[in-house]
Amino acid sequence: MILAAKIGWGLLGTVLVVGGIVSSEGFVHVSVQQHRPGGTHIWLVAPAMAAPIALRLVPRRPLEQALEKAREWLPAAQAAASELQECPDGPLVEVTDPTEHVKVGKRDGSLVVDVNDPREKVYVAVPLGAIGDSLRVLAERGATQ
Amino acid sequence: MKRLFAVLALIFVATAAAWAAPGERYLHVRVDNARDGQKVRVNIPLSLAAQVIPAIDNGRLRDGKVRIGNFQANGVNVAQILAALKNAPDGEFVTVQQPGQNVRVAKKNGVLIVHVVNTKGEKENVEVTVPWSVAEALTSTANSHELNVEAAIQALENAGDMTLVTVTGEHQTVRIWIDSNNDAR
Repeated sequence: MILAAKIGWGLLGTVLVVGGIVSSEGFVHVSVQQHRPGGTHIWLVAPAMAAPIALRLVPRRPLEQALEKAREWLPAAQAAASELQECPDGPLVEVTDPTEHVKVGKRDGSLVVDVNDPREKVYVAVPLGAIGDSLRVLAERGATQ
Repeated sequence: MKRLFAVLALIFVATAAAWAAPGERYLHVRVDNARDGQKVRVNIPLSLAAQVIPAIDNGRLRDGKVRIGNFQANGVNVAQILAALKNAPDGEFVTVQQPGQNVRVAKKNGVLIVHVVNTKGEKENVEVTVPWSVAEALTSTANSHELNVEAAIQALENAGDMTLVTVTGEHQTVRIWIDSNNDAR
């Protein structure tokens, strides 16, 4: 009985520690909702720390192709991600036309993109820390090629 | 007792002022197009621009400076001209009137004002207001073929709230300004 209790406490502790580590950088939220009747609604929440880890696992070939045009913008993107973390929350870009509404802003430490067009409503929130880490991984992998 | 209240009120006001002082400065762009109903609002924290601009290494923009070709055309040193204009009294310096376009450059209350009126084709009225500190910062590089955008942004951070550019066309209006609000509405 005592052994079972010890194992239970051990498992609970492990779950809490792993949960704490996984959620330490926040979560990526993605929502895509089609406006048509019966349209799908995809709602995805993933730990933000998975993004830089996943980028380390991307095969070299497709990464090279993706980095070909983006490489020269990586330092600017890294600087932006880093500085945005220090900036107060607020809207950064908003484009409105009769059929479409696009908003990009910073909220609660995340870069938030909100798109509402006649077909679907898309919401993406990515913690800026995870964006910075991902860009750093891309820069490191790009530099070693 | 009254003295205690006065001291507490003073501490409260000083704390509130200190809390409010380090406000972020923003560069705002607002574009309204009456033809297609499109509206664009951009709010860039100047601190963000100050970090990102030097990191860009693309095309004409490198190391926070933009290459503009023959800036010192025919031996004219723009930095020296700006230095001379800075000490000149307020007034109108250049007026160019040609068919379809009028250009006026003037200095007023420490700012450089460029006013362009296009009357040919799509009629347009452009007014650019540049504080002297920003104009000087722009031309502060050793290379006269470059504009120092990084220094200009730093100068803008110290400038007061002001409208920098307004463009009023037949179908479109553009306004670029700086202030301490995070929303360009």
